[in-house]
Amino acid sequence: MSHIIELQNVWKRYDTGGEVVEALRDVDFHADPGEFVSVMGPSGSGKSTMLNVLGLLDTPTEGTVFLDDRDVTDLSDRQMTARRKEFIGFIFQSFHLIPTLSALENVEVPTLFGDDPAARDRATTLLERVGLGNRLDHRPDQLSGGQKQRVAIARALINEPRILLADEPTGNLDQETGRSVLDLFDEIRREDDVAIVAVTHDPQLSDYTDRTVELVDGRIQ
Amino acid sequence: MNPLQELLRRVPALLMARRNLSRNRIRSGLAILGIIIGVLAIASLGMFGTTLRTGADQQLGDIGNEISISPNLQEGVEELTDRDVDEIRRAVSDGAVVPIRSDAVLVSRGDQQTVTTIYGMENPGAIYEASDGRVPDRLRQGALVGSGTAELLDIEPGNTIAVDGRTYRVSAVLAEQQGISLVNPNSAVVLPMEDVNGTGYSQVVVSAESGQAANESAVAIREELNEREERVTVFELQSITAGIDQFFGILNTFLIGIGSISLVVAGVSILNVMLMSTIERRQEIGVLRAVGVQRGDIIRMILAEAGLLGTAGGIVGALFALGAGVALNSFVLNDPMATFQPINFFYVALAVGFGIATSILSGLYPAWKAANERPVEALRK
Repeated sequence: MSHIIELQNVWKRYDTGGEVVEALRDVDFHADPGEFVSVMGPSGSGKSTMLNVLGLLDTPTEGTVFLDDRDVTDLSDRQMTARRKEFIGFIFQSFHLIPTLSALENVEVPTLFGDDPAARDRATTLLERVGLGNRLDHRPDQLSGGQKQRVAIARALINEPRILLADEPTGNLDQETGRSVLDLFDEIRREDDVAIVAVTHDPQLSDYTDRTVELVDGRIQ
Repeated sequence: MNPLQELLRRVPALLMARRNLSRNRIRSGLAILGIIIGVLAIASLGMFGTTLRTGADQQLGDIGNEISISPNLQEGVEELTDRDVDEIRRAVSDGAVVPIRSDAVLVSRGDQQTVTTIYGMENPGAIYEASDGRVPDRLRQGALVGSGTAELLDIEPGNTIAVDGRTYRVSAVLAEQQGISLVNPNSAVVLPMEDVNGTGYSQVVVSAESGQAANESAVAIREELNEREERVTVFELQSITAGIDQFFGILNTFLIGIGSISLVVAGVSILNVMLMSTIERRQEIGVLRAVGVQRGDIIRMILAEAGLLGTAGGIVGALFALGAGVALNSFVLNDPMATFQPINFFYVALAVGFGIATSILSGLYPAWKAANERPVEALRK
């Protein structure tokens, strides 16, 4: 197998006070290094749940999750956190930068709690790469939406992940800014051989992706 | 890079904590104020107790270090003999033995006169100090005049006085004895032993180095002199001063206990502040967890915030407390420097330590709660 991440027969059920909601139903999914996959579907279709399971933020009720060919379904919280740090970068619709930290410090956040003396250099290089070399010491409130998302992308890349998971990455951006962010994604997956999985409503993503997965009522169509 | 930045880089929990606290300065400031008040209360009440005890000690003087041996009149012993004094000297290992012979006679200077007590002593220097003039180690000639008598008869060192018809040159006026004293010289005149009528001694004062030595001497003297019959009575104030000391110890503990209540209240306010701020930062903490920050690091970060609040409050509170101590001591004891004694630094350190510990304890629950929230829940919009 060359899949960097894979879901096999994954079910996710929530017990919401007597009523069981099936957010994912028998989902099979995989992404390969360098591949850009978008997951589309109406709201409530289970897209976010699937992204959480892929990102080791949530565990499936049934089924198996493979990360880099290893079964990671039943790891402890500590081990999952370590795997997330090593393998996965997250990008959120509302950026989720820490308002008290500068752009550079925000990019360093995933490396802060650990001995990583080269992190500052890597963070600087990454910010230069996403076109923010002159904004290193700006706070998030001094940056535009597109700039914030670029800081968030640099943060996602700081630990040289194998997978980027993006939740509506263009959702809070205008079309032109969204396009420049997608150009950046395209560059990253080609140059860094990173798998990108993006959950989205945005049709312009399909111009960039290798394939699109359609999710309806928790099932892949 | 200055040392503070260097420290913050090495301890990322501190860096994040400091930034988080600067986010809502008024709220952090109020939480710190609570700790300041608590630390101030504990430290200054502790120092207040010290001041009370010092004041009381000044009143009592060195009385705890002295014992007095008198003849047991009930057993028919009228006065102490040279043999008794020798036995007392043998029993006392550490301290000065001052035999005293006393009488009451007419003392005059010029045309003023009064009846006063006179004490015959060989070595008054062991228990008295001069306020004017010099107290010789061995009193062979001349007179020492107590402050009250000196004032009454307008006497200064160098004057000549008549005691019971004989004339003496005054060598010194004795310092006024404040508070309680075994042999109060204030309204007396001290003469060489052989100039006071009689052969025996009315009492013997032993001045030891410490209260404990005085107590040991008292025990030894009782054993030595009262072996066959109850020849002497031994009077010691050490048990009384020990009781007073114990009372002040209890009083101090009580005062500090009252101060601690305010610190507990401050702890609750920190709990509230930390809980609010972690709830507000739910999403951020969720992001930190998502990008690979471990639970333990989140706990450390929030405890560092609480610890910083406590440390800042503790330091400011300690400074205020020392200021309050200086004000109190200059007002009550006329000696502002009395604040800077080891026991007071102990109280200040205790208060600061208690303040920091309270803050960190108050941060435990918010830290635990924040670290255990699932990132999925925290990130949900």
